[in-house]
Amino acid sequence: MLEVVDASVAYGPIEAVSGLSIRVEPGQVVAIVGANGAGKTTLMKAIAGILPLAAGRILLEGRDITAMPAHRRVAAGLALSPEGRQVFPDQSVRDNLELGAWCRDLRPAALEAAIEEQYALFPRLRERRDQMAVTLSGGEQQMLAIARALMARPRVLLLDEPSLGLAPLVIREIFAIIRGLRARGITVLLVEQMANLALGIADHAYVLETGRVTLSGSGAALLQHPQVRAAYLGAGH
Amino acid sequence: MLATLLQALVSGLAIGGVYALLALSFSITFTTTRTLNFAQGEFIGVGAFLGVTLLYLLAPGEGGSFSALAPVAAEGGRYPVAAAAAGAALGALGLLLFLAAIRPFAGKPGMSWVMSTIGFGIILQSLGLAVWGPAPVNMPSPFGDGVIRLGGAGVRPQEVAVLVVAVLLMLALDITLRRTRLGKAMRAVAHDPAVAALMGIPVTAIMLGAFALSSALAGLGGVLVAPIASASLFMGMGIALKAFSGAILGGLDNPRGCIFGGFALGLLESGVALWQAQWREIAVFLIIILVLAIRPNGIFGRRALDKV
Ligand SMILES: Nc1ncnc2c1ncn2[C@@H]1O[C@H](COP(=O)(O)OP(=O)(O)OP(=O)(O)O)[C@@H](O)[C@H]1O
Ligand SMILES: [Mg+2]
Repeated sequence: MLEVVDASVAYGPIEAVSGLSIRVEPGQVVAIVGANGAGKTTLMKAIAGILPLAAGRILLEGRDITAMPAHRRVAAGLALSPEGRQVFPDQSVRDNLELGAWCRDLRPAALEAAIEEQYALFPRLRERRDQMAVTLSGGEQQMLAIARALMARPRVLLLDEPSLGLAPLVIREIFAIIRGLRARGITVLLVEQMANLALGIADHAYVLETGRVTLSGSGAALLQHPQVRAAYLGAGH
Repeated sequence: MLATLLQALVSGLAIGGVYALLALSFSITFTTTRTLNFAQGEFIGVGAFLGVTLLYLLAPGEGGSFSALAPVAAEGGRYPVAAAAAGAALGALGLLLFLAAIRPFAGKPGMSWVMSTIGFGIILQSLGLAVWGPAPVNMPSPFGDGVIRLGGAGVRPQEVAVLVVAVLLMLALDITLRRTRLGKAMRAVAHDPAVAALMGIPVTAIMLGAFALSSALAGLGGVLVAPIASASLFMGMGIALKAFSGAILGGLDNPRGCIFGGFALGLLESGVALWQAQWREIAVFLIIILVLAIRPNGIFGRRALDKV
């Protein structure tokens, strides 16, 4: 479905991602875990096309999209809900959702139907539809960011730290939604610092350290891996 | 007394409308690309001369000489045609400006785009001087030279027309920015181009569009004001500077603030002129500096300009 092959990404002279390869099979939830600064966000931005690769390739359904500009990748089936939500603060919840569907160029009736679909998935957004996004709570903004990405009807949904800064109850809600997405057949690539939660729902997972994959395996296997337990899940539990 | 006041009010609103329109044109490129077209003044002058040239060509024989066109040249729908054509031509020039003077430098550290847009303006002005010469020429108003009597005050119909056109255009732009798909995308790019790209929005195309629109407004502005003053390749400098001041005053990143700033400047200018004509510029800029000392981002602005 999605394949990153020997990818390197650099900020000036500093390489944040080095010769990294991952695979995401159709219908899977694939998790990437790693400490702060491991290069997770850099990798997601490179997949979405807002950072260029210094080396390597990105394939979407077998097609090489390495040179494709970011806005065309959305039409090709990739949508990123970025780290820190990045909703458009001075636009309404509804308009944020409309922007998410930009590449589909829907007629008004179809657009409203697509927005309704997201309201059904995130009822809280329906209540807040006419509010400016800046006035939403952190959890609501996160829901909006995910819903906005879903508006593009992606074949692979990229989620960068959907739990960032949220209360445990809201995090549980967000993860229930991710499970629901998988049940609907949407492929998800998930970056998370809450390693226990991410590995708990992942079909497959990668551990990133300083821009390289150091471990990979099924979510369940990595949850039991001593190295993972020591580094990311708090040893001794 | 009342008549003079009314006259000053109409004049202030008319020139304020032009300032507001051009203040908005600065805001459009600044919010979407964080750059400004410092050739906007030259664009106004070239727009006016293109307008005069079109009137001259559209009314062969009956319009008189190029430098002193007869009022008839602006009649019969020729003036709106000339205005629209000048707007379109300058819009196309805006595309060239973006590709040649902005795109290579935008988003990079340094202020090379300041120099490149100024240079673009100087080249444009020199070309204009070669084609049309340095002398100002008269542009007739489609409403003639007459004066409407309004409660004892004499109001020039062109001033009313400028005000009406400017207000209609700004309303249309405001609705476009707030209500349409394209306007929402422009505001998304204004907020953050990378995040806009994540929505699938073609960011470069939007930026190109912003420059075309901004430049078209300059061309149109030139054709609107020329009948009030006269067309000159140097007329735009003052107007662009005032419009820019209006934008800074209202808040460069706030379109409605820019409209407010433009009108405020026009009214201030004609108000002070009523009292002491020679104090006009001094008073206007002193007030601007005073306001900015209190509100550095403009009255309705959010972002600091020092980010450019
Ligand atoms: N714009 C930038 N310019 C220079 N260096 C950067 C930039 N963004 C990130 N880096 C560096 O690249 C490395 C990887 O950063 P990245 O944001 O990808 O990490 P991350 O795994 O997402 O971390 P976190 O868990 O904190 O979100 C870090 O060392 C960071 O300092
Ligand atoms: Mg990150």
